[in-house]
Amino acid sequence: MMRETRSEDPSIRGRIFMVVASMVIGLLVLRLAKLQILDAGLYSGESRSNAVRELRVTPARGTVVDRRGRLIVDNEDTYTVLITPRYFDPERTDLLASLLSVPDTVVTRKLAEATAWNAFRPSPAFRSVSFDVIGRLLENRSRLPGVTYEAAQKRRYVAPFNAAHVLGYVREITRAELDRHRGEGYRSGDLIGKSGVESAFERPLRGTMGSAFRLVNVHGQEVDAFRGGTEDLAPVAGQEVVLTIDYDLQALAESLFVGKRGAAVAIDPSSGEILALVSKPDYDPDIMSRPLAPEAWDYFLTSPEKPQFNRATQSLLPPGSTLKPLVALMALQEGVITPRSTVTCNGGHPIGRGQFFRCMHVHGTIAVGTAIEQSCNTFFFEMMTRIDVESFARYARAMGFGRRAPLDVGEEDTGLIPDSAYFNRMNPRGWTVGTPMNLGVGQGDIGVTPLQLAGYIGALGNGGLLYTPHLVLEFRNPDGTVERPEIPEPTRLPFDRSNVDLVRDALRRVMEEGTGRWIQIPGIQSAGKTGTAQNPRGEDDSVFIMFAPFDHPTIALGVMVENAGFGSTAAGPIASLLAERYLTGSIAPGRRALYERTLAVKSQPLPD
Amino acid sequence: MRTWYRTLDYLSIVAWAALVGIGLVAIYSTTHGPAAEFLLESVRGNYDRQMVWAGICLVGFCIALLIPVRVYQKSAPIVYLGAILLLLAALLFGREINGARSWIAFGPAQFQVSEFAKVGAVIGVAHLVGSRRPGTAGLRTALAIIGLLMLPAMLIVLQNDTGTALVFIGLIPVMLFWAGVPVDLLMLLLAPAVTGYLAIVYEPAAIAFVVLFTLFMYIRTRDRKLTALAAAITGGTLGAVAVALTKILQPHQVARVLSFTRPEAEEFRHDVGFHLVQSLAAIGSGGLAGKGFMQGTQTQGRYVPEQSTDFVFSVIGEEFGFLGSVLVLMLFLFLLVRLVMLGNQMKHPFAMMVAAGTSGVYLIHVFVNVGMATAILPVIGIPLPFISYGGSALLAHTALLAITLTLHMRRDDFSIYGY
Repeated sequence: MMRETRSEDPSIRGRIFMVVASMVIGLLVLRLAKLQILDAGLYSGESRSNAVRELRVTPARGTVVDRRGRLIVDNEDTYTVLITPRYFDPERTDLLASLLSVPDTVVTRKLAEATAWNAFRPSPAFRSVSFDVIGRLLENRSRLPGVTYEAAQKRRYVAPFNAAHVLGYVREITRAELDRHRGEGYRSGDLIGKSGVESAFERPLRGTMGSAFRLVNVHGQEVDAFRGGTEDLAPVAGQEVVLTIDYDLQALAESLFVGKRGAAVAIDPSSGEILALVSKPDYDPDIMSRPLAPEAWDYFLTSPEKPQFNRATQSLLPPGSTLKPLVALMALQEGVITPRSTVTCNGGHPIGRGQFFRCMHVHGTIAVGTAIEQSCNTFFFEMMTRIDVESFARYARAMGFGRRAPLDVGEEDTGLIPDSAYFNRMNPRGWTVGTPMNLGVGQGDIGVTPLQLAGYIGALGNGGLLYTPHLVLEFRNPDGTVERPEIPEPTRLPFDRSNVDLVRDALRRVMEEGTGRWIQIPGIQSAGKTGTAQNPRGEDDSVFIMFAPFDHPTIALGVMVENAGFGSTAAGPIASLLAERYLTGSIAPGRRALYERTLAVKSQPLPD
Repeated sequence: MRTWYRTLDYLSIVAWAALVGIGLVAIYSTTHGPAAEFLLESVRGNYDRQMVWAGICLVGFCIALLIPVRVYQKSAPIVYLGAILLLLAALLFGREINGARSWIAFGPAQFQVSEFAKVGAVIGVAHLVGSRRPGTAGLRTALAIIGLLMLPAMLIVLQNDTGTALVFIGLIPVMLFWAGVPVDLLMLLLAPAVTGYLAIVYEPAAIAFVVLFTLFMYIRTRDRKLTALAAAITGGTLGAVAVALTKILQPHQVARVLSFTRPEAEEFRHDVGFHLVQSLAAIGSGGLAGKGFMQGTQTQGRYVPEQSTDFVFSVIGEEFGFLGSVLVLMLFLFLLVRLVMLGNQMKHPFAMMVAAGTSGVYLIHVFVNVGMATAILPVIGIPLPFISYGGSALLAHTALLAITLTLHMRRDDFSIYGY
């Protein structure tokens, strides 16, 4: 059988071989057609996810400026030194250590940590390295292969004040925050606003992340820009936040609060813009934006001084006598008195039978204006016997008490304004007309915040419009365009203008002839009211509200100093000095003594 | 009578130069791409070294063309024996690179002697066939051919370079075919290879092949002994593969054999499967027209191991796409066909066998290498002729072509010496 096929023409074998070769090559071509044409999409995705790494390019965080554009917060570059262990020469350990001024062992340890993570990728080893050190590293670059650096931004606080409760601070995002902001592009290690403006306006401040695509080799090293960087997206810088805060006023307010606990809020009564907001004790936001020592954390979180607590918007204090103008307005509006109605003060209210309903003086027979001016308790105890609790609560809420503003930045407390339901709950065995009487002098079951006090006196100052307080004036885009936040419209107070004017006039006389006469602003007519709120822990809290100038007020203040005595000794001078500074640009030489005295006032120290 | 250079087949030389040129382009992309600074110093020099080798090949080509055919014919047994001695020498004194003890240092250069053994084997077999009367190839010639090829193959297996050894085994049916061995015998020889491949890829197909092949042999020959032999050979291979994969081979060897069938599987991911996954990603993502010279992300990121040597086809597939890959395959097909045509023009069996052996060597390399890079064959580490980085392989493959072209150019000289 083998013989039959022996004598073939070689050219037939040649043809057979050609056919076989063509089939083999054809098979490979078909295979390539399947891979490169039919399945190309599948593999291009695979190769891209393999070799292309998307890096985020962080935009510059938006700056924060005061109402006139003076810089408060911007960013500064710090440097992080990175080590790629694969390229680092261990014999240079001592050189790197001496340049960084750390012991050799620290470099060795960082190197080991970096190696454990990834020997081929740059690991951040030393953070917050100064520019001079980077300069010295660069000089020795050729001797330090595998040592690189990158710039990282840090918040820089340039103003001579903390404004901690306004500005807040940024820190590394926590795991819980990462979960909460899922889908917003945050990654571990990112910075995020934790409180204040930084938190409330995180989104506009943060800007829009950019992307840079890098070609990555099999060892994870970035070797080049992908497609020459043509697919990269430039980041969009964050918006600049323009605060309503007045730089100088805020600085003065904070300096006046040294050694004191308390809060001050200054607003523009014609708009609700907050000109200054102080809550002391506070903290330095700069410290909070750096790695924190354990002691600092401990103070921040557990100190009885509660530096985190925003006393301007969260502390609940009885307003004391500063509430009397409102009670007077209620009585006039309800018609339980006329401007001429009188009450006779014999040094206390007859229902009082005890210590609670005393007056400081024997004022005799007085009408409402004089009662405000002389701060007669008896008159206002009597008013509360004539006004029902529900009306009291309704008017108080209309004045902004007992509810949130709502403020654009930070947390607020509603405050406490009692109504009959509240008294029923608190007095299960029943209550009498005497129960709510001390509300008339701003004592008892009532709590207001300094922010609410400022809004209240501002509304009296402008003749009856309650504005929504706010801290942000506008947002400026990097391209120069401006966006304004939406501020709710002001509400009109439910009081007749004539009644408001009567009360305003009484408040003017407080400053001219009454308890505020020591702290009049020279040459400027103003109106105000002192208050002294009983504090169960230690000395009374000093409270003061005022607005100025009298005719067309441009500043209204609510000031509270904890455990510092009468309203006219601590809170009053602070308010007056701030108003003067804001209106005249300076403090008159004749008031230096008042300024020095005010600085010297201290809050009674907290018991340990 | 024509002047000698007029009979030189320039088209083959053009195809050769084109393939070497494409190889240099691909190697340049792996060494001078945008990520070149991240390469090891030794890798960065690949392109320059290959340029030197290409220059040496060009000079060698010219020298080969000057040598008369008689010298080739007479020295064939010496060349074969020399190749065997070199293989032995490498086995005894050679240097081990990448696990294979197949390198001999010669001055500053190192040679992979198993590459040169291909030349020796082709010439040796051609001499054997050429020294007999044409058309007399019987079982004895067939056994002699098998012996001549199995000897270097076994030495190379001992050098731990199974891939290269498989080229010699693959040459057996090719050389037998050209030597005029009957087709039935050839089919019996090729059947185990097909059965083995199918057994690895899809066992039911292998069983079906065994049955169909046996039936085919019976229908063709009506010879019961031959049919029984066919059944025994194919069935035996099927059983042997099954036993080898489950009982004999080590797990890593099994993985190497099986991984191409599903390279993305978890158990293969970190080993040979990684080569294949990355090679497929590179070639597949090249698409129709490729990502462009030095633009391949897989290539520039060095994702495909051995991308300038055994997996060089992934570079071409990624950066030059389907069109570039097919161009390379078409150049090879042209060269293969051309060599067969030249072989047919040379009436002398020695010359014809050299041409046939040369095209056989190329066909096996192209099929196995591209088949491996595209995951239709197991990972067998052999180079793509003329294109892969590596001086020994380039020199050996060029030598085969140069000898064939010389014999063809001087084909009229054969008549003087007869056979």
